[in-house]
Amino acid sequence: MVGLIVKRFLQLLLLLFGISFLVFMSMHIAPGDPATVIGGPTATESDLEAIREELGLNRPVLVQYVDYIRGVVQGDLGYSFQNNQSVTEAIMTRFPQTLNLAVASMIVAILIGVPAGIISAIKQNSWFDFSSTTIALAGISIPNFWLGAMLILIFSVQLQWLPVGGLSAPFWTIEGIKQLILPAITLGTASAAMIARMSRSAMLEVIRADYIRTAKAKGVKAWSVIWVHALRNAMIPVITVIGLNFGFLLGGTIITEQVFAINGVGRLMIDAIAARDFPVVQGTVLLVATLFVVVNLIVDIVYALIDPRISYD
Amino acid sequence: MRKQSVQWFVFILLAIVTLAGCSSDASESGSDSGSGVSQELTYATTSDVVGLSPIDTNDSVSSAVIEQVYETLFVRDPETMEIKPRLAESYETPDDTTWVIKLKEGIKFHDGTPFNAEAVKYTFDQFMSEERAAPRASLLEPVESVEVRDEYTVVIKTKEPYGPLLAALSHTNASIVSPKADKGGDLNQNPVGTGPFVFEEWVQGSHVTLSKNEDYWQGAPQLEKVTMKVVPEYSTAVSMMQTGEVQFIDAIPTEQLPRIESLKDVEVQKREGTPVYYLGFNMNKEPFNDINFRKAVSHAINREAYVKQLNGLGTKNESIIGPKVFGYDKGASDAGYSYDPEKAKQIIEENGFEGQQITLLAANRESYMKMAEIVQAQLSEVGLNVEIETMEWGTFLDTTAEGNFQMTFLGWSNSTADGSELLYPNLHSDNIGSSNRMGYNNSEFDKLVDQSRVTVDQEVRKQKLMEANLMAIKDAVWIPMHHGVVTAAYNKSVKGLQIDPTGQWSLYNVHIE
Repeated sequence: MVGLIVKRFLQLLLLLFGISFLVFMSMHIAPGDPATVIGGPTATESDLEAIREELGLNRPVLVQYVDYIRGVVQGDLGYSFQNNQSVTEAIMTRFPQTLNLAVASMIVAILIGVPAGIISAIKQNSWFDFSSTTIALAGISIPNFWLGAMLILIFSVQLQWLPVGGLSAPFWTIEGIKQLILPAITLGTASAAMIARMSRSAMLEVIRADYIRTAKAKGVKAWSVIWVHALRNAMIPVITVIGLNFGFLLGGTIITEQVFAINGVGRLMIDAIAARDFPVVQGTVLLVATLFVVVNLIVDIVYALIDPRISYD
Repeated sequence: MRKQSVQWFVFILLAIVTLAGCSSDASESGSDSGSGVSQELTYATTSDVVGLSPIDTNDSVSSAVIEQVYETLFVRDPETMEIKPRLAESYETPDDTTWVIKLKEGIKFHDGTPFNAEAVKYTFDQFMSEERAAPRASLLEPVESVEVRDEYTVVIKTKEPYGPLLAALSHTNASIVSPKADKGGDLNQNPVGTGPFVFEEWVQGSHVTLSKNEDYWQGAPQLEKVTMKVVPEYSTAVSMMQTGEVQFIDAIPTEQLPRIESLKDVEVQKREGTPVYYLGFNMNKEPFNDINFRKAVSHAINREAYVKQLNGLGTKNESIIGPKVFGYDKGASDAGYSYDPEKAKQIIEENGFEGQQITLLAANRESYMKMAEIVQAQLSEVGLNVEIETMEWGTFLDTTAEGNFQMTFLGWSNSTADGSELLYPNLHSDNIGSSNRMGYNNSEFDKLVDQSRVTVDQEVRKQKLMEANLMAIKDAVWIPMHHGVVTAAYNKSVKGLQIDPTGQWSLYNVHIE
């Protein structure tokens, strides 16, 4: 296990290095000059030249990259082109909101997805199964921004139960939880649907297995067969889906953050891309990539814990 | 496993039910003024401020906050559009290149620093310094020096006579900053001005909070607290207006107007404004540099019909300098090549433009995409072959600055409301390769614009601008699509809010009833 973690960690470093290079170069190659965005349509050529000089953009790209990497290795992600704020600081102030949102969405997704999938499997071809698979399909198909806008109109504007947006209150307070509910449902719905489908098919496979029949035959209670014997084995593919989804959730909060006015990393990234704020784009992409890889590593470790047959040594 | 899951499930279910039961009113609190009504105002913007230093920023969201915290030497009266002194007391011009400005006495910055000639000199020196690279440095580009004559008198010398100086000095970006605060820290993060509101905090990406300046030189404002909240989705901001989380939004997009107008507690203010939106031609490419081609395009576009679908958020006027901008003349309103598809067809036929392939470039923001679709349809009717290319804003700015387009749409906010500041950057040959994106090069026109800039006599300036305006209209280098109508929507309890034709507003006279 330790070997696995060390190996994965080294892979992570290599991967991040590659990603940083790709992002850095693609930002510089892509059309759109940070100076023209900062200067706006009114800027004259001499204004632009002065801005470029100030940002160090008229040095060779490779020199800029080496400088950047030197900073990153020392934990310094650079400074925003737009307002000179430290990128590390900008990310750190926003990351908690994104993490809250992703975790809350995951909770929503698991709470809805896993039970729905299992009940569907146990009661295969029942009305419950039929309606839950239909809803799951709809859940995957509904675009986030539409669902979010609808939830706001119903629960905030019409019923006035929940606030429209922002995660301004800490998540452990009642206000904080209220602020999280709608965004979490919006972001978690697609994952819930995916988890439900995966749980259903995994469960269907397992409950037909020999050892389940044996357990039933020797008189184990029905709930015990399902929850103790079947579930643990059915969970392995489900955990993969959950893990992958969590990675996507962390990186995919952009639209939900836009709709609900949440000040998270996703919005930081999208605003930075529009403003050609290279250091911020690089910092946020590195963060999302790191999280994705780390979550995958954790999933692998959980496999080993949950299934004694899996070993990485 | 089972017990735990059930417990969790029940817990969450209970939590949701309980929370849903709590009314959201509980969270609302605020300092009350004598009347018992909370004097706190929250407004929403779709993007965050870039920074809070007038010297170092150049965007409308930042300007809106800067307007409340800082003040300029001069200000344009929103009613008469005349320029009058604000932090200045009076001014005189002993010769064409010298401006002696007397300042008001006894005013202090929020940090206690006295407002005086030193502060003005410091601000403008920073504004013009090459090292600082102020994005609007061009406003004071013709200024040679700023000198302190005595504690409350500054002398501004210009390289040549500079007519729009007062307009430039009334621009938000030319606001006076506290020298102490700028030297000791970052004004972008900690703005210090003389305005009616004092900066409290800026949580990037989330909000900016201001509080009332008790010692404001014109008397403290009535609002105790002002919060600017970043809400990227306009429709979310409208929902927030409905629930009371936000009391004020501006710059209403056309498609949101019907929804906002249907809200019963919301007042909508519309006002003829200074912005102009236009279709421009790349003057360095065939056949766009042919006056006949541009005439044909102009005759083919039904601007009346186009403006109708803006729900009242735009007016039709063929003049490039709009009615709210200095240098406008009524006679220019229909001086362009008006809608006449038959004439368009005729010109196209005579000059062999039939089936001409055109790529219409549109940035994917504001109403440009809509303009492109309408113009595409109308040009197709007269026999031109139009394709639309859309681009993200950053890419668009670069592409157009490099001249890689044929025809495109753009707007100009005219935030100084002075025609020289419209014609010079956009159409004068000095700025080809940067802000003169169309590459318009007409020496006669240049001369008129130069004269409008170097003359201090405002009447002469106006005359020159009128002539230059007519020349550009006749050259059809820009076809104005519409002149902007500036808007604001606010809760009916908000009183005293008045938007300027430039789209800016001051919260100084606002209170909540």
